[in-house]
Amino acid sequence: MFRNYLKLAARNLMKHKTFSFINIFGLSIGLICCMLISLYIYHEYSYDRYHEKADRIYQLNNVFIENGEERSHATVPAAMAGLLKQDLPEIEETTRLLRLWEDDKTLLKYEQDGASKVFYETDGYVADASFFEIFSYNFIDGNPKTALEEPNTIVITDEIAEKLFGNESAIGKQIRVSSSTNGDHDYTITGVFQPHLQPSHINARFFLSVRGGDLDEFINNSTTLLNNNMFYTYFLLKEGTQPEILEAKFPVFIEKYIGEELRARGSGRELFLTNLKDIHLNSEIAENVTPPGSLKYIYILGSIAILTLLIACINFMNLSTSRSSKRSVEVGVRKVLGAEKRTLIWQFLGESLIMALIAFVFAIIFVQFFLPVFGQIAGKEITLALNQKAQLYLLFLVLAVFTGFLAGSYPAFFLSSFKPVKVLKGKFSNSFAAVSLRKGLVVVQFVISIVLIIASVVISNQMSFLRSTDLGFQKEQQLVIPLRSGQAKQNYSNLKNSLENISEITSVGGSAYYPGISNPQDWMMYKEGQTMKDAKTVYINQVDESFLQTLKIELVAGRTFSREFPADHWANMVLNETGVSNFGFSSPEEAVGKWIAFDWEGQQHRFGIVGVVKDFHFKDLHIDIESYGFILNTDTSPNYLIANLGAGNISNNIDKIESAWKSFIPDEPFEYSFLDQDFQKNYQAEDRLAKMISYFTLIAILISCLGLFGLATFSAEQRIKEIGLRKILGASSANLVTLLSRDFLKLVVISIILASPLAWYIMNQWLQTFAYRIDINWKVFAFTSLLAVIIALVTVSFQAIKAAMVNPVKNLRTE
Amino acid sequence: MITIDNLEKFYRTEEVQTVALNKLSFQVKEGEFVAIMGPSGCGKSTLLNILGLLDDPDGGSFVFNGTEVSGFNERKRANLRKHNIGFVFQSFNLIDELTVFENVELPLIYTGVKTADRKTRVHEVLEKMGIMHRRNHFPQQLSGGQQQRVAVARAVVNNPKLILADEPTGNLDSSNGNEVMDLLTELNEAGTTIIMVTHSEHDAKYSHRIIRMLDGEKVTENVLV
Repeated sequence: MFRNYLKLAARNLMKHKTFSFINIFGLSIGLICCMLISLYIYHEYSYDRYHEKADRIYQLNNVFIENGEERSHATVPAAMAGLLKQDLPEIEETTRLLRLWEDDKTLLKYEQDGASKVFYETDGYVADASFFEIFSYNFIDGNPKTALEEPNTIVITDEIAEKLFGNESAIGKQIRVSSSTNGDHDYTITGVFQPHLQPSHINARFFLSVRGGDLDEFINNSTTLLNNNMFYTYFLLKEGTQPEILEAKFPVFIEKYIGEELRARGSGRELFLTNLKDIHLNSEIAENVTPPGSLKYIYILGSIAILTLLIACINFMNLSTSRSSKRSVEVGVRKVLGAEKRTLIWQFLGESLIMALIAFVFAIIFVQFFLPVFGQIAGKEITLALNQKAQLYLLFLVLAVFTGFLAGSYPAFFLSSFKPVKVLKGKFSNSFAAVSLRKGLVVVQFVISIVLIIASVVISNQMSFLRSTDLGFQKEQQLVIPLRSGQAKQNYSNLKNSLENISEITSVGGSAYYPGISNPQDWMMYKEGQTMKDAKTVYINQVDESFLQTLKIELVAGRTFSREFPADHWANMVLNETGVSNFGFSSPEEAVGKWIAFDWEGQQHRFGIVGVVKDFHFKDLHIDIESYGFILNTDTSPNYLIANLGAGNISNNIDKIESAWKSFIPDEPFEYSFLDQDFQKNYQAEDRLAKMISYFTLIAILISCLGLFGLATFSAEQRIKEIGLRKILGASSANLVTLLSRDFLKLVVISIILASPLAWYIMNQWLQTFAYRIDINWKVFAFTSLLAVIIALVTVSFQAIKAAMVNPVKNLRTE
Repeated sequence: MITIDNLEKFYRTEEVQTVALNKLSFQVKEGEFVAIMGPSGCGKSTLLNILGLLDDPDGGSFVFNGTEVSGFNERKRANLRKHNIGFVFQSFNLIDELTVFENVELPLIYTGVKTADRKTRVHEVLEKMGIMHRRNHFPQQLSGGQQQRVAVARAVVNNPKLILADEPTGNLDSSNGNEVMDLLTELNEAGTTIIMVTHSEHDAKYSHRIIRMLDGEKVTENVLV
């Protein structure tokens, strides 16, 4: 019996090629989408699972309570780790990790026999010696237990080792590490590790020992438990320790060490733990060592995966049931010959299962093919190797079988329920219920597609809004040059002077940070007549006298810094408008001439407000503009040089800048970026989401249209006699096309009506994640509706025109 | 073999109730060849469907081989049907996707006959019907007469006690029609009971007895032999 079904299924497949193609193609694409997204989700969930002690490793997190507002941070002060370990016996070991926060790139240099290798490396960290005792790293050389114990030691990836030394062993070799954060120092390589295939929230490519760098003294002598919240701190808990028990002891700890201080400031502090495996996805903290994943995006993508597969399943159901008149005789005959309903149900389920399995084979092949492209779009390194993910393959097989059952279930029950008496007499007609269900399913498909179209349009509108919004400064034509090494910093003035002499360059400035990158420095400040109790957070940037002019940040009152006022150094401030209103000044003009201050170790540090600038976006548009102050620092060289290239030929100017760089800093490679591109990096997550959604939207529309095309084909076939008769009675081809298309268009219109409010609701929720956002315009809906109607019309009318053009005599003869 | 007594069947639409069978009673003995005739809509096909256990009567009794079968559920009916009754239709009703061999094999599959036995029996029947050489063809590659032979082969492959034929020559030309009627006669002579619905007086003459119906009732009964 089974062989019989198999044979029949195979012949059915071959005989009805359009039907088979639409189904297998649709199911394959549905499965491919599902698999790719599953792999992405699997990847997101696999963060940090490989660490052997992962269950016992916790990150210490920090909540600031100010004016009733709570803000959670992943970082704590340096002294926290040691004190907590000393006070709480549940903690077996602690380790601290500090990002080289001012380096988006760090300079590594190896010199041997007069020749040198110099290059920039990303993702450098300073870590305690205990780091590798807690985290599992795959050392291919060196001893993880002792690697960071000695001062000036460094652990690097195998890739860096190969870049520096080729096949030679790296252990014991000395390299120079130039960092804006940690200074210029020589380090001895004590370990080489191979990064795990599975992802980790710590993306380090090299680790520096705490001792030996500029940060050594700062880290080891820092006693404050309130400020300098910049250390990622991890605990290894003793076996069997519940984190809740430890967390319950934190309030006592806080009270013991900083209770009084907090009360004096009128603020609060709480500590809590996050398990290592939860850091990437299940943490409320928005910023961590690497940007955490988003559960919301996982839900969005997961829904898309399910919906695409659902669309393909609906195609299968609709095409199967619409073809039912053709199969009704078979059902009738089989029943007459003694087949029971149950047997027939299994037969039809078997057929859909075979299709699903064929689709599965295609999907598995194409997933391998699409994975690299998908990985690029998603910005993740996702792999699918059999040894590694056998369970995942098995899961996909289960998914395919499930898809087969889902797609086949309705047709199976529907077809097997035919009464042989009726169908064998040729009295078969699609029941009202079956036709309604089919229409309902088409509406579901189009609702999904339309929601996806609207989502794509809204996302792309928001993204272009983000790109085009006036940020309050000039972001175009701004070349950013990072100054890492001591040599580069020492030559800042020379470089600046020489660039100012290039005629096309309008202005050159220097700063600690620039818009779009992290601005970690902030002070709690109060104005005249207040105390630290009233203090408010002000983000601080240390700049030179021409930075504000270079960025063209607009002055609204007072003056900016300039060479004429060298006394501004560490004494005066240029504040933004939000700062003016946050401090309660009635106008910018009123603020100028006043001072704001902070207390540090019992001393008041005052800054006179000499100017007020218009609000500008220092951070991306997810975030509201906050109080922001510039202070002039002429002592230390800035981290970045920014050159406003003006309207001249960019590559020409870059060549000139590069030769200036080479003349002063010949040993270091010249690297630069553009401010607008750096700023755009903040929208990477959304850019990726936008891309993924638009691709999946296209796919969803494609599968929906395939289904519609199939239905139109069968509808035209079924009505062939009617069409012939109408033509004989005088209907024009146009009349007939209208007749055949009208039913489907009605469904599309219903879908538009259902999908629009749904899409509006979902997209409005998404837009709430931006502090600055577009309103969803009626034009979006109009455009989408028009698009959906056109797509449906094109799909359906092809069949309608074909049917209408046939000679009616031929049609009538088919009876 | 078959006794029906006061058999009733109604069809209801929202407004009208049509009587398809009106207290119909007759008997068919084992080995008989009975033709049922009458104008369109007189209830012939309804009767055949009830006799074939494809439909349930609304009233009266239907005794098959000594068992009252009206009121049997779908499963019991299917079981009784597949072991005892063969069908021949006007429009052949072969499954287009199956070959001649496979079409004929189908009833044996549903009665659970083993593969090797199936092959022997299908070959026997095809030989008998003179279509052995066509066993690997698909129905649409055959002429109407050949298709109906396949249908007859399928109806008899299980050695049913009863064959129900619904206008078996309706879609055939006269020479093919005669061939099919000869086949049925042969089967009847070998002991199979046949009940045939027909419009054709010519075909009816092959039978032993003609029951004529009008408006769901039996009007006359002529014994020919």
